[in-house]
Amino acid sequence: MNHLVLFHLTALVLLGFGLFGLVSRKTLVGMLISVELMLNGAGLALVASSRLTPAVDAVGQLGALFVMGLAAAEATLVLAIILVVFKRMGTTESKDVSVLRG
Amino acid sequence: MEIIINNLVYAAFGFYLLLIIVGGLAAIMAKSLVRALVGLIMTLFGVAGMYFLMAATFIALMQILIYIGAVSVLIFFSIMLTRVPDGEAGMENSSRKPSGRILLTMVTALMPAFILGAIVIRNCPPALKLKPETSLAELGKFLTGPYSLAFELISVVLFVAMAGAVLLGFERRK
Repeated sequence: MNHLVLFHLTALVLLGFGLFGLVSRKTLVGMLISVELMLNGAGLALVASSRLTPAVDAVGQLGALFVMGLAAAEATLVLAIILVVFKRMGTTESKDVSVLRG
Repeated sequence: MEIIINNLVYAAFGFYLLLIIVGGLAAIMAKSLVRALVGLIMTLFGVAGMYFLMAATFIALMQILIYIGAVSVLIFFSIMLTRVPDGEAGMENSSRKPSGRILLTMVTALMPAFILGAIVIRNCPPALKLKPETSLAELGKFLTGPYSLAFELISVVLFVAMAGAVLLGFERRK
């Protein structure tokens, strides 16, 4: 059990929390929060793998930075989608949002 | 001296792990979405601390700046803007779930994590000593050299996301 494994297990804890929340949450906002947890786990695993192995350092760190940028873009889009869904259906519960119509 | 420092590092790791676990549990279990968001912020601080532990200062500061500063404010906005008229903001319906379903959810959600964990524990490469910190100038050179395409693409992605959000938010005139 070395440092690398400890960091990776922490990232896996984040992944497990995120998956559990994604499956069990009932509102779209709750699911968004769970997705952010999972993305954080991904970033942590990337940085740990680049810092504690012979790999090139910048690859992992900048990869984590890109993950953060993607998370920001994703959160923006999901916010807009949640607003539109709420305006049209009056709720953001995932079980009520089941109609596809143009 | 080295033993003391080693123990300090482990203590810091444990503290950040505690932050991550408590915050994560709050983020996925809390009935109120505002509390869940506070839990998420706690977890983000824990992850930032882990970046500091690995001497990845720039990434840790970016984590605080982007995630805690920007993304959580966005999530807060989406909680506030989707409140139902005569209810408190951001409450999830508390229809009781049968405990069997919670168990099934746990199995479904934690199976990938457990499989990956077994793989990680079985084939872990030997850990190295922490490398000296990569300077910001080096990171910038890498960003504009080998990663320049990804760098440009992420700016396009951000622009498209913002433009899409604005487009989605427009009221359609009847």
